[in-house]
Amino acid sequence: MPVVELAGVSKTYENKVAVDNLSLSIEAGQMFGLLGPNGAGKTSSIRMMMGITIPDSGCVRLFDRPFERESLDRVGYLPEERGLYRKMNVLDQLMFFGRLHGVAAEDARKRGTDWAKRLEIADALDKKTEELSKGMQQKIQLIATLLHNPGLIVMDEPFSGLDPVNAALVERILLELKDGGKAILFSTHRMDQVEKLCDSICLINDGKAVLSGRVREVKERYKRDHVIMEFEGDPAFLESNEVAEAKNFSGHAEIHLKPRGNAQKLLHEAATMATIYRFEMVEPSLEEIFIRTVRGSNHA
Amino acid sequence: MRNMWLVARREFLEQIRGKAFRITTLGLPVLFAVIVAIGYGSSVGVGGTNRSMVIASSNPALANAVRAQMEQGAAGVHSIIVVAPATPEQRAALVGQVRSKAIDGLLVLAAPVDGPPIASYFSGASGDFITITRLKDAVDKGMLDEHLLGAGMSDTAATAVLNGIPISTYQVKQNGPPVASNAEASFWKGYVMAFLLSLTTMLYGLNVARSIIQEKTSRIFEVMLATVKPTDMLAGKLIGVGAVGLVQIAIWLLAGVAILATPFAAIMMTGQFAIHFTWVEGVLFPVYFLLGYLLYSSLFAGLAATCETEQELQMYMPLAAVPTWLSFALIIVIINNSNSAWAVAGSLFPPTAPIVMFLRMASEIPPAWEFGVSIGLLIISIWATLWFASRLYRVGILMYGKRATIPELLRWLRYS
Repeated sequence: MPVVELAGVSKTYENKVAVDNLSLSIEAGQMFGLLGPNGAGKTSSIRMMMGITIPDSGCVRLFDRPFERESLDRVGYLPEERGLYRKMNVLDQLMFFGRLHGVAAEDARKRGTDWAKRLEIADALDKKTEELSKGMQQKIQLIATLLHNPGLIVMDEPFSGLDPVNAALVERILLELKDGGKAILFSTHRMDQVEKLCDSICLINDGKAVLSGRVREVKERYKRDHVIMEFEGDPAFLESNEVAEAKNFSGHAEIHLKPRGNAQKLLHEAATMATIYRFEMVEPSLEEIFIRTVRGSNHA
Repeated sequence: MRNMWLVARREFLEQIRGKAFRITTLGLPVLFAVIVAIGYGSSVGVGGTNRSMVIASSNPALANAVRAQMEQGAAGVHSIIVVAPATPEQRAALVGQVRSKAIDGLLVLAAPVDGPPIASYFSGASGDFITITRLKDAVDKGMLDEHLLGAGMSDTAATAVLNGIPISTYQVKQNGPPVASNAEASFWKGYVMAFLLSLTTMLYGLNVARSIIQEKTSRIFEVMLATVKPTDMLAGKLIGVGAVGLVQIAIWLLAGVAILATPFAAIMMTGQFAIHFTWVEGVLFPVYFLLGYLLYSSLFAGLAATCETEQELQMYMPLAAVPTWLSFALIIVIINNSNSAWAVAGSLFPPTAPIVMFLRMASEIPPAWEFGVSIGLLIISIWATLWFASRLYRVGILMYGKRATIPELLRWLRYS
């Protein structure tokens, strides 16, 4: 049963088509990456999912029912632009957001305190939001998103503003939530995180879905035309006729073969010029797939 | 509905706990008292007159009569010396003393045999109009006093003629005996209530607008709209801020009642300067505050949703203040005849109704049907304003980056 489903959803602002016939669905216990360049339509899609804006056509379903505002009590939303009351006490603020989602006041206080301890910001609870650093505000926003124990968690750029230590902490929490059966959707530009965390992705460009599916399946669609080499000697073989593009980092090279490039020929040429320590054919990274797909769709 | 009350509660608590609430609750009455005190002080003659003055005249009786009048009425004059009869040389010497600032003013009263007296006033300054008005009053009365006494009238009778006869006024109510009243005191009571009404209405209307712009700037709407309907958010905000206004007015009323229990209040509530508060005023003040507040705050809310910064909102303020200026511009019309067509129209026209109705009530309670029509029209116009404001609000709060143009605003109305 999909927790959230968009079916042929479109949205146009003035003369700009923000989302064009987009369809996707996310199951419980699934982490879903919504990807795309700036202005592709990610935030517009999320806003329709959250009922902030209404689609011009198509339909949004939450928890296997047509969209209704009552369902939003079971959704946690972390927007791209963080929004907290600056002058408000942090715990009061968390309780306020919890109560908006139907959590009783005392329960909201307890959950807010527990989450703050978990995220190592318990000291911030009795402060005003404006007194906190950007990273701490980010964590407060995350607690406000999760406080009411939502079945669907929607996050627009959840890692922006977090240092690597805190980003790792949030990653761990998201994986735990996923294991606990929550459906999680997030948009990001960080492809390494998508590869690490997501089960499925949807890449949108100019409002259209240009690539979607399970991460493994998506990657398997691309043939192994990448070579990682470690060598010592003359790097002239990197200009071989078999090579489309190569990056050399002092003996460590990342090579993209031409469409009909022959890896065996390249290895033979390299062996005549340098000592080869590693020659490995790898699948393209999600980042490369992203760039190639977006470029391809722009040229189409 | 639950979320609307939660939003209202948050607005209420945050504003009540804020420094601005404490400052305005205490500061406004103090400021108002200071303004009244300054006005009262200036009206009884503090300042505006010279400290030392000489009256020079060829007619000693006239000069002394004028001095007597000046000493009666002109506070702030430390000494008045009469030089009479004064020669032309003495007058020239006294002008020299004015020049050297030995004296502050010289009043020359020439009394030709074949004509009325001629008064001239010499001072270092060009003379403020209060001083000149007082001098003219003293000279007129002094001349009349001198003539009456010269014609053989007794001093007591002449004083009675000069002072006039005080008129005691009584207001005849629908029920009960006539009540002693004072038109001037009633006017000031109505003026103060109307002023408080306009001040609180604008103040809290602006609070709503400012709160919307702050939420728009901090992007909190994005989070809120994922939970709360825009109409619930707007209604919660209006209810919360309005409740803060009512609490503030209640505090002022309670403080007023506490003051009325003091001996100071006895002066206000009795005698010629009697001020009478009726239960009708007590009930209608919060009613008109709420209606006026809802009208202006919903208008401000719609405007605020279209703005990016408080500076942008300021540009709309003169437009929003026009009804208030218009209301107070009708004061003279209302004083002359509180039931004139203009006064009635002003008290029925929704944007001016709250203030004009209270100005009218100062002199006479209007008929019940006028209250009914006025409140009915206010409710209809609040509904219409809310209809527009909620549409602008729904779209405007998610529009960032630039100020909306008129065609864009019209499109927003169509979107929603």
